[in-house]
Amino acid sequence: MEFKELDPILHSQLRLAVVSLLISVREAEFTFLKEKTNATAGNLSVQINKLKDAGYLDVTKQFNNNYPQTICKITKKGIEAFEGYVKALQTYMNPNGQS
Amino acid sequence: MTTQNENLSPNDSMQLINSMINQAKNNFSENGFLYLVWGWLIFTCSICHFIFLKLDLFKQPEIVWASCWLAVIFQIIYLSRQKKKEKVKTYSENIVNYIWISFGICMFIVVIIMSKTNNWPMMNSIILMLYGTPTFLSGIGMQFKPLVIGGIICWCLAILSVFIPPVYVLLLLAASVLAAWIVPGYLLSSKYKLQNKQ
Repeated sequence: MEFKELDPILHSQLRLAVVSLLISVREAEFTFLKEKTNATAGNLSVQINKLKDAGYLDVTKQFNNNYPQTICKITKKGIEAFEGYVKALQTYMNPNGQS
Repeated sequence: MTTQNENLSPNDSMQLINSMINQAKNNFSENGFLYLVWGWLIFTCSICHFIFLKLDLFKQPEIVWASCWLAVIFQIIYLSRQKKKEKVKTYSENIVNYIWISFGICMFIVVIIMSKTNNWPMMNSIILMLYGTPTFLSGIGMQFKPLVIGGIICWCLAILSVFIPPVYVLLLLAASVLAAWIVPGYLLSSKYKLQNKQ
């Protein structure tokens, strides 16, 4: 049984947490992701940018009642990468290919 | 949470994915407020309409239903304010919103059809049936059983309504909103408050 390589973009605690949250919702605000991951704003912002640069997230910045708002949404490429990552994980957890 | 990946084992990754998906799934954003507003409004209008008819107090007792237009205006303002506060949009919320929009459109069409055909006694039975559909589907979408039960009760009352005198169907309307919107509304409200306390 061959172990599949884990996507280095997703194989990081915070980036994986962000993508796992976004896979279950239509879109989420930066503050929601910060609240759920308990990350610092600076760290989260850096990791979101990395995911955005990889084409895994769509990030929209807008103003709501004069306050800046960052809205994140997973892209089709992000969904495919996440699915690939989970499949690769399964090869490590179940090396004999048993279900 | 950090960005370290050296110590992230496949098991850790899987647990993290499960925990985040559950957190997103358990994020309950329905506070039940609009269920309570509409529930109490329809309940009050039905009872008042019934009393006015029974006591023969007004020439046009159905005028009480005009208050629903005020509720529509209130709802539009309330929802536009709530939308600005939303931190997350889920797929199920999106579907539930469209279910209620389609219900509003159906209600509007029913009123037009009934006013044109002058078949008012049948209207309340159809409304009871219509109340059941979005309530039942919202319950399924939100995985909230009281709404599912409320929807089924509305359908049962719709069947019952054709076997009783039309004036008493108004009491069935009151009973249907009590079961479908008021009781689930309070349960949704307490669930929402409990989640926000944690």
